[in-house]
Amino acid sequence: MAQVVRSFAPKVDQDTCIACGICVTYCPESTVLLTEEKKIIFDYRYCKGCGVCANECPTNAIAMVKEGSQ
Amino acid sequence: MSDKEFTRMMEGNEAAAWGAKLSRAEVVPAYPITPQTELISNIATLIAEGKMKTEYIMVEGEHTAMAAAVGASAAGARVFTASSSQGVAFMDEPLWIPPGRRLPIVMCYVNRTMAPLGGLRPDHNDSMHQRDKGWILLYCENSQEVLDTIIQAYKIAENPEIYLPVGVCYDGYFVSATATPTTVPDQAQVDEWLPSYTHEWYSLMPDSHKMPAPKSFLEMRMGVAEAHEKAKKVIKDVDAEFKKQFGRGYGGIIEEYNCEDAEAVIVTMDSMTGTARDVIDEMREEGKKIGLIKLKCFRPFPSEEFKKIAKKYKAIGVVDRNNSFGSAGGGIVAIELSRALYDAPDKPLIVDFHVGLSGTDVTMNQIRYIADETLEAAKTGKVKHVVDWVESHDLGEVM
Amino acid sequence: MINEIFDQHYKDAKIQGGSTCCPGCGGPLFWKIALQVLGANTIVYGDGPCAMCALRNIKVPHYGIHFSFVADGATGINAALRAKGREDVTLISSAGDGATADISFGKISAAAERNENMIQICVDNEAYMNTGIQKSGLTPYGAWTTTTPSGKTDNKKDIPMIIAAHKVPYVATASVAYPIDLKRKLEKAMSIKGFKFIHTIIPCPTGWRFDPAKAVEVTKLGVDSWVTPLYEVEEGVLKVSRKAEAKPVNEYLTAQGRFRRLSEEQIAYIQSEVDDKRDDLMAQDGKKIIH
Repeated sequence: MAQVVRSFAPKVDQDTCIACGICVTYCPESTVLLTEEKKIIFDYRYCKGCGVCANECPTNAIAMVKEGSQ
Repeated sequence: MSDKEFTRMMEGNEAAAWGAKLSRAEVVPAYPITPQTELISNIATLIAEGKMKTEYIMVEGEHTAMAAAVGASAAGARVFTASSSQGVAFMDEPLWIPPGRRLPIVMCYVNRTMAPLGGLRPDHNDSMHQRDKGWILLYCENSQEVLDTIIQAYKIAENPEIYLPVGVCYDGYFVSATATPTTVPDQAQVDEWLPSYTHEWYSLMPDSHKMPAPKSFLEMRMGVAEAHEKAKKVIKDVDAEFKKQFGRGYGGIIEEYNCEDAEAVIVTMDSMTGTARDVIDEMREEGKKIGLIKLKCFRPFPSEEFKKIAKKYKAIGVVDRNNSFGSAGGGIVAIELSRALYDAPDKPLIVDFHVGLSGTDVTMNQIRYIADETLEAAKTGKVKHVVDWVESHDLGEVM
Repeated sequence: MINEIFDQHYKDAKIQGGSTCCPGCGGPLFWKIALQVLGANTIVYGDGPCAMCALRNIKVPHYGIHFSFVADGATGINAALRAKGREDVTLISSAGDGATADISFGKISAAAERNENMIQICVDNEAYMNTGIQKSGLTPYGAWTTTTPSGKTDNKKDIPMIIAAHKVPYVATASVAYPIDLKRKLEKAMSIKGFKFIHTIIPCPTGWRFDPAKAVEVTKLGVDSWVTPLYEVEEGVLKVSRKAEAKPVNEYLTAQGRFRRLSEEQIAYIQSEVDDKRDDLMAQDGKKIIH
């Protein structure tokens, strides 16, 4: 498996998140999902840290933090 | 009427259409070009008359024709197409695909010279240009051989040890538009001999999807090379099986004609072989010890066959109806044969001749000249030219 | 635990997460959206564009040659499907902008003329991106590329209208920023027999020069400013998909580094072209425009 080289990674504040699913819709890599418990999860094996999810989130619940600190 | 055996005068382009029909080609993507045109219009006629059931795609160019052939073959259909000269050149890009991807497409190369060195008539550069790509290349002398070779070609191509595309090559005009007696075999007999096809390795269909890829480019290349080695035997076996079923055989790879106790032989390909047979017979009656080798299979090149027979002769005259400018010496067949015989003990002299370039008629006088020059080389032990451009000598117009 | 959820998701969604595309590339986003409606009984024919990297991740049968072979290999597959009685299979043929507008332009035109039963997609990121950002026939006026470093001086070909002029049953423009609209158009295409063409703009942060995080935002601006309007041409009748007021093109252009050198005059020119196009589309909305 190729190594993911990522400068920033998404981190979600579950309290601010309203589970609208916009981040899930727009993640280009299918690495954001909304669980049945309405929690946002990321697949850090494949996420590239592009930041689209954070940019599109209407409540700014996702922050792009330095890789390794998510 | 269309399914039972019959015999009549038939041009090569019609015989080829019947060959595709009898082989039950499922997809035919094609674009017209002289002198192939009647082949595909004959297929259209067979379909319109209800005698052939095939998906016939009139594409907008030869590049598309071969790409569509690749797509259809990858999706599991038995595919047939054809082209000539400029059209073959225009499809050069996709012509590289079928061998590496092991797609058993059968294509007719209706030989025509390449512009700007000629017009519409035949020489062999267009088909021989494919010699590096991995296509099997078989050459045919007349309409009957075209028809039979197409059916044989599918059996060769679809052999799981082979899975290579096959080019059935025949001269434009001299074969494509010349009528000779042709027997069209019984469809049921062909069906029994050539069953329907399924690629054992691939399927693009979603419910049976399998598309294994080679582990490396090296594996892909060596696979093609190995298949060519195996093809040498498969081609001969298929011809023998065909002869058993239909009563007609061509030797598969080469045919030795009137070579009993010959001192020298000439090697011809395709339509000029018919002329050569008559000349050799004449010369034999004059007591000259000259024989004829018809080279049918150019790829894979029959090095082993030539090594076996070469020690019998003092000189081999190679008739190259092609050019390879700036080559190591002469035409393409001569160069291939030289390499094949290089390590053979007691190898004969190779005398190379260019004739029939740009589709000029290969006359009996020219063949006789070639045979005489070869016999002389056998006698003197000397070769006069790297390659003899026969058309530059005035040998008279006798057919 | 999370890994298992994702692995199952990739299987169900028929696309593997984590392509070798650039961060923020619209290619995998397109295929992710498309596969939500396409279903398992699909063959995808396509190769060549940057989005090809995304094609390696899809989990439906996929075949491709090179980008000079758009729609023709698919034509062959189509014929094989007919020969085998398998016209139930959905055939998608996809190509990038360079293939569609330039090297395979004739191929697509011919497939349209033959009314081949397939959905032809153009994944348009507006340049030959896979080979390092060279201009194509679909690069917009004024855009920087490595082969148009002072900005492209020619216009972008109007491929959707050119294809519509072939009188094919269905042509549409779409955007990955409006996925519901894109899915609706794909579903409509799947229900029609004959040649369908869907032209989808996909963002390229690397070639358009902007922060990957803005990928969807910039693509949306392209639609909202009417630079890349959304419409359909069904049986020759125009249907404008999105009729909202246009945002100024300047907002769209200044969001991307590739338009950094545009002069005031050039921006005004682009605005007037976009305004004309918008007026045309709105005036013709609901009318038969292909005769």
